[in-house]
Amino acid sequence: MGLFDVLTGKRKLARPAPDRLFAMTTANITFETELGIRTAGRAGIVFQALATADFDQLVKDMVEVVQGISEDSHTDVGSQDDEYGYRWIVLRDDDFDDLVVGINAVSGAIEAGGYGDRLLCAVFAFTNSAGRPLYFIYNYKRGSFYPFVPAGGAQQRDSESELRLKAQIGAELPIEPELERWFPLWGIPI
Amino acid sequence: MPRPTTFGKDTGLQVRMTLTLFLLGLVYAALVGVIFASGYTPLLIIVAVMFLVQVFASDKLALHAMGAREVSPQEAPQLHAMVERLCVQANLPKPRIAVANTPMPNAFAIGRSPKSATVCATTGIMDLLSPAELEGVMAHELTHVQNRDVMVMTIASFFATVASYIVQFGFFFGGGGSDDDDSPSAAVVILVSIGVYVVSFLLLQALSRYREYAADRGAAIITGRPSALASALMRISGGMERIPQRDLRASEELAAFYIFPPHAKNSLMNLFSTHPPMEKRIAALSRLEAQLQGAA
Repeated sequence: MGLFDVLTGKRKLARPAPDRLFAMTTANITFETELGIRTAGRAGIVFQALATADFDQLVKDMVEVVQGISEDSHTDVGSQDDEYGYRWIVLRDDDFDDLVVGINAVSGAIEAGGYGDRLLCAVFAFTNSAGRPLYFIYNYKRGSFYPFVPAGGAQQRDSESELRLKAQIGAELPIEPELERWFPLWGIPI
Repeated sequence: MPRPTTFGKDTGLQVRMTLTLFLLGLVYAALVGVIFASGYTPLLIIVAVMFLVQVFASDKLALHAMGAREVSPQEAPQLHAMVERLCVQANLPKPRIAVANTPMPNAFAIGRSPKSATVCATTGIMDLLSPAELEGVMAHELTHVQNRDVMVMTIASFFATVASYIVQFGFFFGGGGSDDDDSPSAAVVILVSIGVYVVSFLLLQALSRYREYAADRGAAIITGRPSALASALMRISGGMERIPQRDLRASEELAAFYIFPPHAKNSLMNLFSTHPPMEKRIAALSRLEAQLQGAA
């Protein structure tokens, strides 16, 4: 926001930056071959569901869109609301590449419907070699990824593991450079 | 099929705000000219120093004055998570979060810039509102943070404060150029200051109202739910009448905590500070909701 925008209080939401999502597909190769991190077969995309008539229709259409492109890949699609009033579209598929394609289809459909600025994040669920869950979150506003490792206990995250992951995968994946933007998402339904 | 952006531009509001800022600038320029010509510059410098002190020290002072305490994510998980998601949507760094333990429903934002900001909610407002309504209120405060309203209003009110100080203390600081026929006498400076003070007071009130409208609009854009904020405002304005007189007077006394007089108290953006009438705010939000639904 420029100085004039600040003075006059202009508001504009950041447009989504979906193009870097596919970096996840290449990163997944490194995950599996070098780091022992496997996909948990689940991915989700979270957005603000506006209470307009065409948005509801959009969500219904979207489920069909994903089912359409994934006929041969058996992606399961579901939608649910989380406790904070945001809507999740959850995809389940053991093939990671299909998950990324599905997420991209969903975000593309939302954007085509004109609601692109309501997209928050895409989340990919993994398990590490010790069997602990970890997530990679893609922030649509900033076009960057960051790891999210919930630790045991309420609202606790394992920052050490997250920073280690950043160091391990930072060359393959555009990681969010500002640590203060690594927003946790509590209550991820995947 | 592609749609136009969800909310149209509010050019009228921006024009009014720009005009107000411009007029304020003119009025202040006149005051500065008179001050320099008359030797009141030492007063200007003293006020500037006090001003800087307020700008840099006011955050902790304001929090303490409102009885607010910073809370960790473990202490207020819902509030933190709500603000976090709003920050993702608004592309803002997450501010510090504080809670004030009082039944009076209110929320405010403090801080010079988005990187050093704090947003605070009272326990009263957290109990009163539903989660969607509280989200609208927090989005309103986050918009204040993003628009740097605290900084803008503090700077905008600087010369008005100088003018008020000249009016109050002008006689003690008498012009250094009183022997010189060409420079204005103390009386002229004080008269000009009165004029500047009156005009700038009105302009500042207008500016503050416009920034509240802008913050409401920003909240509607960030959450996509203008009706939630409208409903929150309705609930709060109903609630304010139920609060006993004692609480309102108590918070007025705390205004003495500030270095600057209460009418220039701009170190925090209160939900209700020099606000437009509630009906007008709700009407503006209803128009936004109609735009949102109508575009569908």
